[in-house]
Amino acid sequence: MKRTLVLIFTLLVLASLAVSAEIQLDVKEHVLSNGLKILIVPKPGVPRVVCHIYYRVGSINERPGITGLAHLHEHMMFKGTKMMGVTDFAKDDALNKRIDELMDKIYREKFWRSDGGDNEKIAQWEKEYDELVKEEKQYIIKDDLWTQYMKNGATGLNASTGNESTGYYATLPSNKVELQMLLESDRMLNAYFREFYSEKDVVMEERRLSENRPGFFFNEQVNAAFFTATPYHWGVIGWMDDLRKVTKDDLIEFHDRFYVPNNAVAIYVGDLDPQNIIEMAEKYFGRVPKGPDLEPIRTYEPPQYSEKRMYGEGNAPTSLQMMFHTPPEGHPDDAPLSVLASVLGSGGGGGGRFRGGGGGSGRLYKILVQEKQLAVSVSARSRGMWYAGAFQFNANPRFDKNVKPEDLENEIWAEIEKIQKEGVTPEEIQQVKNRSRSMFIRSLSSSMGLARSLGRAELNRGWRSIITDLDDLKNVTNDDIKRVAAKYFVKDNSLTAIYTRKMGERQGRR
Amino acid sequence: MKKTFTILFIIGLLVSLGFTQVQKPSDLKFPPLKYEPPDPKDFRTDFGNGLRGYIQEDNSLPLFNISAIVHFGSLYIPKDKLGLNSVMGDTLIKGGTKTREGSDIEDRINFIGGSLNFRVGDQTSTLSLSVLSEDMDEGLELFFDVLMNPEFRDAPLDLAKASLIQRLRQANDQPSGILNREYERLLYGEHPLTWQPTQATYEGITGADLKAAHAQYFFPRNIILAASGDFKKADLKAKINKAVSGWKNKKLSIPTFSKKFPQPEPGVYFIQMKINQGYISLGHLGLEETNPDYFAVQVMNFILGGGSFTSRITTKVRSDEGLSYNQGSRFRYIWGFPGTFSGYVQTKSSTVGYAISLILDEFNRIRREPVLEDEMETAINYYLESFSNSFESPQSTMSTFADLEMTGKPMDYYKTYRDKINAVTRAKVQEVANKYIHPDKCVIMIVGDFEPCNAGGDEWPGPLDKLGKVHTIKLRNPLTGEEQK
Repeated sequence: MKRTLVLIFTLLVLASLAVSAEIQLDVKEHVLSNGLKILIVPKPGVPRVVCHIYYRVGSINERPGITGLAHLHEHMMFKGTKMMGVTDFAKDDALNKRIDELMDKIYREKFWRSDGGDNEKIAQWEKEYDELVKEEKQYIIKDDLWTQYMKNGATGLNASTGNESTGYYATLPSNKVELQMLLESDRMLNAYFREFYSEKDVVMEERRLSENRPGFFFNEQVNAAFFTATPYHWGVIGWMDDLRKVTKDDLIEFHDRFYVPNNAVAIYVGDLDPQNIIEMAEKYFGRVPKGPDLEPIRTYEPPQYSEKRMYGEGNAPTSLQMMFHTPPEGHPDDAPLSVLASVLGSGGGGGGRFRGGGGGSGRLYKILVQEKQLAVSVSARSRGMWYAGAFQFNANPRFDKNVKPEDLENEIWAEIEKIQKEGVTPEEIQQVKNRSRSMFIRSLSSSMGLARSLGRAELNRGWRSIITDLDDLKNVTNDDIKRVAAKYFVKDNSLTAIYTRKMGERQGRR
Repeated sequence: MKKTFTILFIIGLLVSLGFTQVQKPSDLKFPPLKYEPPDPKDFRTDFGNGLRGYIQEDNSLPLFNISAIVHFGSLYIPKDKLGLNSVMGDTLIKGGTKTREGSDIEDRINFIGGSLNFRVGDQTSTLSLSVLSEDMDEGLELFFDVLMNPEFRDAPLDLAKASLIQRLRQANDQPSGILNREYERLLYGEHPLTWQPTQATYEGITGADLKAAHAQYFFPRNIILAASGDFKKADLKAKINKAVSGWKNKKLSIPTFSKKFPQPEPGVYFIQMKINQGYISLGHLGLEETNPDYFAVQVMNFILGGGSFTSRITTKVRSDEGLSYNQGSRFRYIWGFPGTFSGYVQTKSSTVGYAISLILDEFNRIRREPVLEDEMETAINYYLESFSNSFESPQSTMSTFADLEMTGKPMDYYKTYRDKINAVTRAKVQEVANKYIHPDKCVIMIVGDFEPCNAGGDEWPGPLDKLGKVHTIKLRNPLTGEEQK
């Protein structure tokens, strides 16, 4: 049976009751000579097109000293180009260079000298900086790119930076896709970084917002203790020191290296004509020169060799986290680990793409929350990333029953040992297979969600991996599950983090 | 021959690249696009027993979605049973039905890869089901069983109460949560809109209370359905009619509410928390969504602080000054009541006063001066050009129509929407700015660390009482509802 939209279903009724669905996505591919890949999914209906572009760059492409730069750079991509956001480029450029020279002097004085520099000198230069910034304002058209998108009816307008990729998003009326082609190719080709220093302040405020979330600092340290060698060691927001000290030169170098067409994929989903999209892409993105080839990340996580434990206190809820190193996505063990995470912790969502979750009908929820009444919540999640993986349990103990995180830890270990011996039941495995199939179909109803899945997948293992991953799940057996449970759930491969709620002076009265 | 062709092709390519390449967005010429929104009438369906709904066939994917929107919410809960809404939210499904255990329902839904959720809002509640269309019959059976026959069994009920009480302990953890709650408490005063459950009210909720509330509000005439997916409308209608055939109607009795609210003294209201930023809301009560000025207020607020980077507050506070990541202004609407108006920002302690002063400047400026032609054009075009986005998902379109009917808004709301936005003028924007923004009546609520906030910084040295009298708000113990010592 043929669907008019993105899906062609072939139902193969097998001898048993199991039904296997071969799912095909109607994705049109086109590669420009500069290496930019275009993916197109026609979806007739409401006259709108989701237009996303993803770059293969994120916090894992940073190093100590420039952590947080991938995200700061994403902010800076909204500050205009040689064409956008400026009335007189030559004059603006001259002023901007003077600002950069001045800030270079300030940074050297402040950050290179161990005594923090000469405050008087710094104050004088900062005054000069303020004056130059004021002078530059006459040439700046504020948030020009954003305004152009908005007044043409863009929705879902945003950008986001992750560990591995960075995306720029707009959904436009279907007659205005050309605007996105113009603006995005322009900022790939002609990005110009004005208002850099005030934007650093904005990003530091963004980091402070995270810092004020209970438990943030502890979790940041847990992550850093778990990933020691890979660049997953630091968060996307970066360390505050690096945000303070990162320079314009760092930014430009980063941009020139990673923002090249051969390191990106552009995706269009909606009411569109594929040929028309390809022609426009050739015209606009085709003018951007190809960049050098980019080497993948070199460092993988070495074996841990010994158990890690962390303890913390503060004003977040008491909790237990247990983390185990697992292989990156695409490894043959990824599928059984995903099935196991779903069996243990599924039902309440929150686990992302068929990779576990919390609550509902997951095995741990039934045992720890419903039957034994030891926890208010418990989840299991398998997170395969591009260069590393983590299998993670999270649980919050019952306060009124005086349960300790360590009690939950023992319970989870007991369940793990049971799975290592017996595995899980055929019904549990079948449920995960059914759920992954239906969740996949449901995910196709959101153009934005589809664009996101395709884009991120394309940058690592190709967009077809979202379908082959589903096929891999179908083939998982109980023996696979027993095997991966035995292989990865060992103490020397784990980090256990115990956090205890303690109301301190944070809420003291003034 | 082949070579000539290639050369011609290259020349053609160069011509197209070189001569037709546009440089600026203003050079682009877009082909015309006409869009008419779907008409609710085309989807409106009457079922048996006075049950109504909006149904759309959509065979693009093998899915079936249905929601029941019930006219029931937290506002209708008596004071001694506060929290009953949350408990019902947690137990309508988990508490089982007359013939099924809750865990059996959840297991079955999970096994077929579906989802079944229930959430309770302030005046409407929604039960939603999504399954593959091949599972529609089973899904419908479970959906209507949960909707009509919930049993609220003891074990899941006790579990829900214990979990909600544990969550109460976290009510004063997040600065943003505290700010939202206390800002509304200040503006609406002691009122069902601001009542909070306590440990005692949660503990006092019984299965009988839940059944009584269910019996009082869950009946066909008090519910509107929204459904979409791969089915035949007549077939679905017959199935729904069969499911609800024995369901009796009641007389709806909704409590009446005072619409008189205190006028809090303008000034600063400070809530102490040892954090490195101040979380700020400043404003006063707003207007009802049914007010004819609604459209002009939308346009005005887009320019003031609702239109993200194209708005004045974001440009000034974030882009120019680098003071914050998140800032703006918003009108919040509540069905049947005046909503709230607020400017908001979170900024490091030393720039709290400065950021507030900049937002107040913008409140005054939009009252004092007509907005610019460019600003008007951007705002109006945004609403007109993004309009079709609201109808992208058939299921959310059906829910939107159900919501229109539920809240008594005109059914031609979307048909006339663009005309009403288009009719807003610069003069009208200034008029509604003066009518609905009152800097002299603003309360300025800050959650933060008092000493550094009060000290201020170079651009705006403190103390904070330069902004008005400083009141200190003591948080209540969320478990008891009493002021903390």
